[in-house]
Amino acid sequence: MILTLLIPIYQTWHEDNVWQKMVAVSSISSKVSIITLVISVLRDDWMMGVVGVIIITVGNAGLMLLAHLLKKIGENDSTQLIINN
Amino acid sequence: MDDLYIYLIVALLPLSSLMLMIEVNPYHALVIRGILGAVAVLAYVVLGAADVALTEALMGTMLAVSLYIIAIRSSLVMRLGIIKSLPTQTDDFTTLVTNVKKAINDVYLRLEVVAYDSQEALEKALEEKEIHGICSTYNCADDQNFKYEVTLRIERIYQLLKPNKRRSFSPLNTLAVRAIIFTLDSLVDSIFLIILMP
Repeated sequence: MILTLLIPIYQTWHEDNVWQKMVAVSSISSKVSIITLVISVLRDDWMMGVVGVIIITVGNAGLMLLAHLLKKIGENDSTQLIINN
Repeated sequence: MDDLYIYLIVALLPLSSLMLMIEVNPYHALVIRGILGAVAVLAYVVLGAADVALTEALMGTMLAVSLYIIAIRSSLVMRLGIIKSLPTQTDDFTTLVTNVKKAINDVYLRLEVVAYDSQEALEKALEEKEIHGICSTYNCADDQNFKYEVTLRIERIYQLLKPNKRRSFSPLNTLAVRAIIFTLDSLVDSIFLIILMP
């Protein structure tokens, strides 16, 4: 699982497109939460399990927010004309 | 040897932070900051600090990224002032804007064209540092075609816009460049002029 975590990290390093990087982030985020849940079951520790679940939800929310802001910036990239009165 | 997976996970932390440090594009760096946050959460969890991991997940991954993207969006911008009556639909203006965008894209700046009502308002905005430069038409007696000149307040932007031998292509190869020194409010400020040649 840790080795599969290296694949999206390498992909992020290699890739120049920001959207590919976002996809890699979501991949890493879900893998991290799954690893956390597995470790929490192995150690029989509920606290870690709760952290794992929170990473999944917050990771998804943050990713959506970041994607939305990046999309907005992409739209504004075609030169913005501001009328100043 | 039971702890090998802990060492492996912790080793990912310097790896991702190194990736974040060598990234030059601010937007890409933000995305990698998300990766660093996720890896840090995993490292904190396997080391037994669930509360630290929770804080990193909430603050580091979500709040810091959203705040920094707003900061980058509002600061990394070059504002170019024009008069409302300036003909912006001509090919020359499109070429000028495209070339300026290409040149400032090297340092990840965006271009914003701001339209003002009068010449006075435009010059006041330049003096009060609301805008970084003015684009205006250049009077050429023998030709009916519009020619544009860009007056810049900041020397660094002039260095970016002027034809550069280091680059394989010169983004403003259609532009001739001359520099004029102005005095603004008893401060000696450099104002640079770039003139679009026919």
